[in-house]
Amino acid sequence: MMTAGGMLAARRAFGSTVEVNPGWGFDNVAAPTRTLARYPQKTDLILLTDRPPQLETPLRYFQTDLTPNDAFFVRWHLAGIPTSVDVQSFRLEVSGHVDKPLSLSLTDLRNKFEPASLVALCQCSGNSRSLFEPRVPGGQWGNGAMGNARWTGARLKDVLGSAGIKPGAVQVGLRGLDEPPQPQTPPFQKSLQIDHARDGEVMIAYEMNGQPLPMLNGFPIRLVVPGWFATYWVKALTKLTVLDQPLRSFWMDKAYRIPDNPQANEDPQHLAEKTVPISIMPVHSIFVKPEAGAQLRAGHASELAGVATDGGSGIRRVEVSMDSGKTWQDSDLGQDLGKYSWRLWRASWTPPTKGNYRLMVRATTNSGETQVTEQWNRSGYQRDVIEHLDVTAV
Amino acid sequence: MHCWQIIGAVTILALATSAAGQKPQTADASKSTSAEQVVRITLPNYAGEVPKGPNVEVYESHCLICHSVRYVTAQPDFSRSTWEKEVKKMVDAYGATISEGDQRKIVDYLVAVRGTPERK
Repeated sequence: MMTAGGMLAARRAFGSTVEVNPGWGFDNVAAPTRTLARYPQKTDLILLTDRPPQLETPLRYFQTDLTPNDAFFVRWHLAGIPTSVDVQSFRLEVSGHVDKPLSLSLTDLRNKFEPASLVALCQCSGNSRSLFEPRVPGGQWGNGAMGNARWTGARLKDVLGSAGIKPGAVQVGLRGLDEPPQPQTPPFQKSLQIDHARDGEVMIAYEMNGQPLPMLNGFPIRLVVPGWFATYWVKALTKLTVLDQPLRSFWMDKAYRIPDNPQANEDPQHLAEKTVPISIMPVHSIFVKPEAGAQLRAGHASELAGVATDGGSGIRRVEVSMDSGKTWQDSDLGQDLGKYSWRLWRASWTPPTKGNYRLMVRATTNSGETQVTEQWNRSGYQRDVIEHLDVTAV
Repeated sequence: MHCWQIIGAVTILALATSAAGQKPQTADASKSTSAEQVVRITLPNYAGEVPKGPNVEVYESHCLICHSVRYVTAQPDFSRSTWEKEVKKMVDAYGATISEGDQRKIVDYLVAVRGTPERK
């Protein structure tokens, strides 16, 4: 049981300055050693791959509502990534099944459309992939392939409206400045259904936490698709094509697909026959503190903390268990920054005696969605398993 | 204009950090030259070491055109059939031009450096 004093102390501590923690959290589950790398405009991040770059955020940055731009994870698919952008000559081309094709400068995007702003979680489809058993090929992310930011930009609805969508449009094709390393490699192209594209929430963001986006996070503009996995948040967005036929793209038809069931679940021995494109993020929650393998002191209060994430309902409740899931208690929730934001959680716990403990965390959304106890799929996508953390009290 | 000032500052930051500890070569953010309208980063070199193994030269010549060695070394150990699927995906989906003979050599290499123990 958490004492009232413990809860009060936890509440007081909430929102205080970020503690600088030299450890890496429990991302070391993924590999025995991980290299840190410092890329331009970024702080030291966990290096998964260098060409193209895939960089993971150390968990200690997940103690604030908004993830700093320089600590935000990086994931590119194709080696031809943009490394320079001329902000005067850059254009976003809007074409296809429209009345009037547009060629918009960055000034146009800022001045011709009412700015919109919202806080939204950006999470890689394969976040936490390294936790799947049996292991699956792909970027071996721990829990750090996500971040929460305030995005500001022009509504996609307004931009498409300005071009005038012709009757019969079904999708909007999305393309960024990144280029395949070889001509025969399929370029990274995604699409959204037309009604989704003009729902008034999807945004062409030119600011991230009040600043221009770092180059590696999609400067000068990236699509923000609130509640949906980051594979649709096309970086360095340069082409919008309104389509009267669904986009044929490797990145929609073959990649980023999940088994066609609510938990994206399948048996390694009997893979699902039907798959669908990944879309809305399921509810998930993780520990940020303490770290895996941490030694706590019996009889002394320790702080537990983390984040809970979902795809647009918002987090209503986060519970923690200190006894392998036998009993659960509510944590304190951080600020509510809107339904597309993640939510910090925090609790205080005093290990009663020396020994080993398995801590667990589970979240519930405003719509009542909860996490699952088991999940596996061949691509390691959309993990929503109730996570555990083993600690020792000494 | 305000936003150009911010972007100019980002350029300087990019130059400063990309030089990995060296002094930035351009540091005057007050001048509004056209050069400052170009935001540019220089990617650092974090290329990993290529593990030794059978047919390593075949692996290097085909695979490292499109991606770095960390795409393999960052993976856990997998079975031969998983590596066969990965190589086939590179050919079928990503357009790598690798003869069937070389595909087999590459799979042998991958199994040698990241194969599950019972299949090595």
